[in-house]
Amino acid sequence: MLEVIEPGLETSVQDWPGRLGYWNQGFPPSGPMDSWSFRLANLLVGNEPGAAGLEAQYIGPSLKFERDGVIAVTGADMQAKLDGAPIPMWESVAVKAGQTLQMAFAKTGARGYIAIAGGIDTEPWLGSRSTFHKAGVGGMEGQALKKGQVVPVAGANGKAGRKVIDKARTPIPTDKQWEIEVVAGPNDDWIDEAGHKRFLGSDWKLSSKSDRTGFRLDGPDWTFTKKATNKAPEHGSEPSNIIDQGYPCGAINLAGQTPIILVNDGPSMGGFVNPYTVPRAAFWKLGQSKPGDIYRFKAVSVEEAQAMAHKLRELCSEASIAK
Amino acid sequence: MAEEVRTQTAGNMWKVLVKAGDKVKAGDVLFIMEVMKMEVPHEAPIDGTVKAVSVEEGQEGLDADTVAVEIE
Amino acid sequence: MIYEEPKYLTGGDRYMLIEFGDEMNLELNFMGQSLAQAVEENSVKGVIETAPCFASTLIHYEPEEIKFADLKSEMRSLIETLGPSEDIELDSRLFYFPAVYLDPWTKEAVDDYCAKITEKEWDPEFIARLNGLDGVEQFVRVHSGTEYWVASLGFWPGLPFMMALDPRCMLTAPKYNPPRTWTPEGTVGMGGASTCIYPVATPGGYQIFGRTPVPIWDTQQRFPQFEESICLFKPGDRVKFVPCGLDEYEQVAAQVADGSYQYNLVGYQRFSVKNYKAWVESLDTASRF
Repeated sequence: MLEVIEPGLETSVQDWPGRLGYWNQGFPPSGPMDSWSFRLANLLVGNEPGAAGLEAQYIGPSLKFERDGVIAVTGADMQAKLDGAPIPMWESVAVKAGQTLQMAFAKTGARGYIAIAGGIDTEPWLGSRSTFHKAGVGGMEGQALKKGQVVPVAGANGKAGRKVIDKARTPIPTDKQWEIEVVAGPNDDWIDEAGHKRFLGSDWKLSSKSDRTGFRLDGPDWTFTKKATNKAPEHGSEPSNIIDQGYPCGAINLAGQTPIILVNDGPSMGGFVNPYTVPRAAFWKLGQSKPGDIYRFKAVSVEEAQAMAHKLRELCSEASIAK
Repeated sequence: MAEEVRTQTAGNMWKVLVKAGDKVKAGDVLFIMEVMKMEVPHEAPIDGTVKAVSVEEGQEGLDADTVAVEIE
Repeated sequence: MIYEEPKYLTGGDRYMLIEFGDEMNLELNFMGQSLAQAVEENSVKGVIETAPCFASTLIHYEPEEIKFADLKSEMRSLIETLGPSEDIELDSRLFYFPAVYLDPWTKEAVDDYCAKITEKEWDPEFIARLNGLDGVEQFVRVHSGTEYWVASLGFWPGLPFMMALDPRCMLTAPKYNPPRTWTPEGTVGMGGASTCIYPVATPGGYQIFGRTPVPIWDTQQRFPQFEESICLFKPGDRVKFVPCGLDEYEQVAAQVADGSYQYNLVGYQRFSVKNYKAWVESLDTASRF
């Protein structure tokens, strides 16, 4: 139903909460990095919040509609136009057969989301339509969108003119500065007091060597407790080396001295320590940040992080839609 | 009037292939950006001579829509 | 050591890491796997999935359905019901995998790393030196001289984390600092005391020294071993690497390409922890090949 005229930089089918239940075979959850924007886009067009939609990264796609429908664009402002005329974001919009949605570079944020009434109807794989393109699974033939493909969409009626209220729209900063919540653990006892202070008190720059498998950070060195050096040799002798263990999604993985935040397509297991973990409700910030942006980390408790997730779940509901 | 070639995306300036004074043809790759470990080549829109290059190879954290090369 | 009491560590708002010990010990792997099995059999409310590894089990839970403290109580109770691993016996498949050790492809990857990232000693020489071996030839004999136990899958779909079953063949090495940005598909590598096979070309941190042409991951499911899954291995499998030359590598690679390759799989054995422990006791673990 959607003909791919231009694929954009890397645009893929994702659903929420993604591919669950296969962590023990190495399959990541995938799904949208900014699930806040994603869920609201779906609600605008009358879909379930987790229905399959598109995630566009940095440069958005151009898509031609083969039949009438209703769409919504949220997340990064990719200057969406319908047949050359700008359309509003955070609002459901009627489209007619033959019209083309054109999206360009992200002016704010990094990842834009496109939902369409009925939801994208590709064949689910291991229970999800989410794409993990580096392993060739899910979505459109296991890959990001390619020029000339036709993306199937289930039939449904959406209503145009529904808007997300202002306070429920993602507050993407314009000054490249982000405060990112983190919970200490699982391996926080491997870092010494000075190391914790340094991590929480420093600016960390997002490297452009970052993608959906991991967000690499540039910043100061880490320093360790005795636990990191007085350990059985089978851990590996470098301080950050540990006997391979399961990784939480969102873990700040210390590969040597390089912290890499493991995100939606990231590794499930490995032999480096994870001193902190980014809670799920803060992932939208990761999803909307660009290389060169600065992160400052703020320690929160497990309970506070869970309360954040709960609040976000309440925000991603009909309560945020003005009719 | 010089034609401005702007960055199509945020990212790093991976390779700069021209300098002021070079003659280019439409379609020649002027510079290549890098984001998400992907290469984004930027081509000359017209035939002409490079008037100015305002980016450097290795420059990090560039914004999208930044003027990078001017062609006359 | 095996901990008196497992440790229950927090992972953000929705993960719990349960550590059973801090050493490479088959018993710890059995504890981790048994807990995962018990969680599934008991359909513990709020648990989405589990990921056991060498000495730990990661639990992914939904905080709307269960809180960390309650999950900890549930896990504690389940762990108490797990019998001693002494009595465990299970079917265990054994795969023979031809592999070129000291191969040109991993050497190229290491050279590339040295040129672009940072200098390092060639991985096989590094491992041989760190472990007090005579040289790379002895390293090949020692590394290939044991069966490897598949403790878990992870890092990348289908990638096996394995441990040497013969303690005389246990070697250790640090992981790369920083990690490599690519590794050839089929690479055999080692980090800490864990051995893995890279199913496709991915970044990685293990020391690398060999390559196998046998697929361990197949989205096309072309061979009968992939009938039930696109991942070849499951925990409890064993792998024996059989050193081969480049000619045999190319021959096997051609058979894989045309679909005629037959996996060298021994499918009738049962692994007995009791027998394994008795065998280990009988060995002179101070010796090497």
